[in-house]
Amino acid sequence: MIKRILIGTCMLLIVPVIALSAVDSIKIESHGTSRNKAGVGPVIFPHKLHKKSFKCAACHPKIFKAKLGGNSITMRQNMNKKFCGSPGCHNSPKAFPLFHCNKCHMKGK
Amino acid sequence: MKSFVRYTKTTLLFLLVLTVCIAVSGAFSDVESAQKRKKSSKIDPTNPCSVIYLDTKGNLAGVGDPNKPASLSYKKGRGWHPQALSANGLPKDRYGLIDWARLVRENLIKPRHALKAGVDEMPPLQMDVLIVAKGDFVDDVIYPHEMHTYWLKCEVCHPGIFIPAAGQNNMTMIGIVEGKWCGRCHNKVAFPLTDCSRCHVSPKKTSKK
Ligand code: HEC
Ligand code: HEC
Ligand code: HEC
Ligand code: HEC
Ligand code: HEC
Repeated sequence: MIKRILIGTCMLLIVPVIALSAVDSIKIESHGTSRNKAGVGPVIFPHKLHKKSFKCAACHPKIFKAKLGGNSITMRQNMNKKFCGSPGCHNSPKAFPLFHCNKCHMKGK
Repeated sequence: MKSFVRYTKTTLLFLLVLTVCIAVSGAFSDVESAQKRKKSSKIDPTNPCSVIYLDTKGNLAGVGDPNKPASLSYKKGRGWHPQALSANGLPKDRYGLIDWARLVRENLIKPRHALKAGVDEMPPLQMDVLIVAKGDFVDDVIYPHEMHTYWLKCEVCHPGIFIPAAGQNNMTMIGIVEGKWCGRCHNKVAFPLTDCSRCHVSPKKTSKK
């Protein structure tokens, strides 16, 4: 009986830890064909990290629609000051530059 | 006695799991604080006192402060110190670096071809090569031989860096960022890779995105 309670408590402790680490990173992967041609993987967007430094309105709805897969992001637009490359973001001295491909894209296809 | 052993076992298991949990969450906050530390030491390229001199590995080579020489070559190169050059009113690109291509195009400088007089100079090769970028959206690259052969001999690039045949080099942007192909020079001695649209100039016909 006590053993079960103990194991239960353990589980209760483990689950949130795993969940916390996985949740709130958004996988952006609409343009699979184009990415495969270029040999870069899906994008992992750390939502939590961004929420820490910016208010929601800094991004929603001006830059990104708050909907999973609701934005058709391409590198061409990123280069042209849209989405991730918006002014003051990854096309400026404020954040890492766009040519650090592997900081946004998972490696491989 | 038996139950005592069982209790010790479960307690030990519990403690083990607890340490693992703590270790894991510790690791996460470590990552975060590491990112914070990185942020605080970030260099602001728009600040003239800040560094624009990085060595080929991307590490600091100088501090950009004329009162704090980066190396012994500082004294010799004083007249040609990048900051002194910038202060001369030479045209700059949008990162505040000297735009050497514009200098050439607008005939602002006329560097000598060779130390000895009388050596024939080959005129720049007027040939643009279209390099199709992989993927469906990104603008294609037009590689201008003219600007490069103004500064460089054919042998600098052919055949060491590029096979002189259009489409035979199988370049990738990832490889360029890692310092291959165009990245042998760009980001180091030629304009930086951040300036995507200086290379990616020819829109793909298939896509307007
Ligand atoms: C700031 C983050 C970021 C960086 C840095 C970045 N990308 Fe992307 N990229 C994205 C996002 C977001 C998408 C959309 C992914 C999707 O929907 O599949 C994307 C999509 C793509 C695509 C598919 C769409 C298209 O435009 O063809 C390719 C190819 C691509 N990136 C290549 C690159 C390369 C090469 C680099 C490095 C020069 C790079 N990316 C750097 C965020 C980034
Ligand atoms: C740095 C910009 C940025 C900030 C700040 C930001 N978001 Fe997002 N958000 C995004 C991006 C990018 C996506 C992914 C959209 C996609 O998949 O195309 C997203 C997706 C979402 C989604 C849909 C995905 C999901 O998890 O269900 C919601 C809801 C959302 N954001 C809410 C918020 C709220 C609430 C805040 C403020 C606490 C916030 N966002 C702050 C960029 C941001
Ligand atoms: C800065 C590097 C560089 C220099 C210097 C250079 N080239 Fe090239 N050359 C290239 C690149 C890049 C390509 C395109 C290769 C590709 O498309 O994969 C190319 C392609 C070529 C081609 C093939 C064109 C085609 O349509 O197939 C020829 C011929 C050529 N170069 C001749 C020369 C000559 C002659 C010189 C000296 C006057 C020279 N190159 C100097 C980089 C250079
Ligand atoms: C051997 C060194 C070297 C290599 C390799 C090289 N470049 Fe350059 N590139 C230069 C230099 C030097 C300049 C002129 C100085 C500057 O603009 O920074 C230049 C200038 C340019 C310009 C600017 C022209 C203008 O008028 O503004 C473009 C575009 C360019 N390079 C594209 C490329 C592309 C694309 C590749 C790869 C296929 C490449 N370069 C490879 C050295 C190189
Ligand atoms: C020095 C010139 C140069 C600059 C600057 C440059 N690129 Fe490229 N890029 C290339 C060349 C050359 C290719 C074509 C490689 C191929 O497919 O043969 C390419 C291809 C690409 C591709 C298609 C994928 C691939 O591997 O072919 C993407 C995406 C891309 N570049 C994104 C970017 C982004 C984002 C930036 C700015 C951060 C950038 N590039 C800056 C030269 C450049």
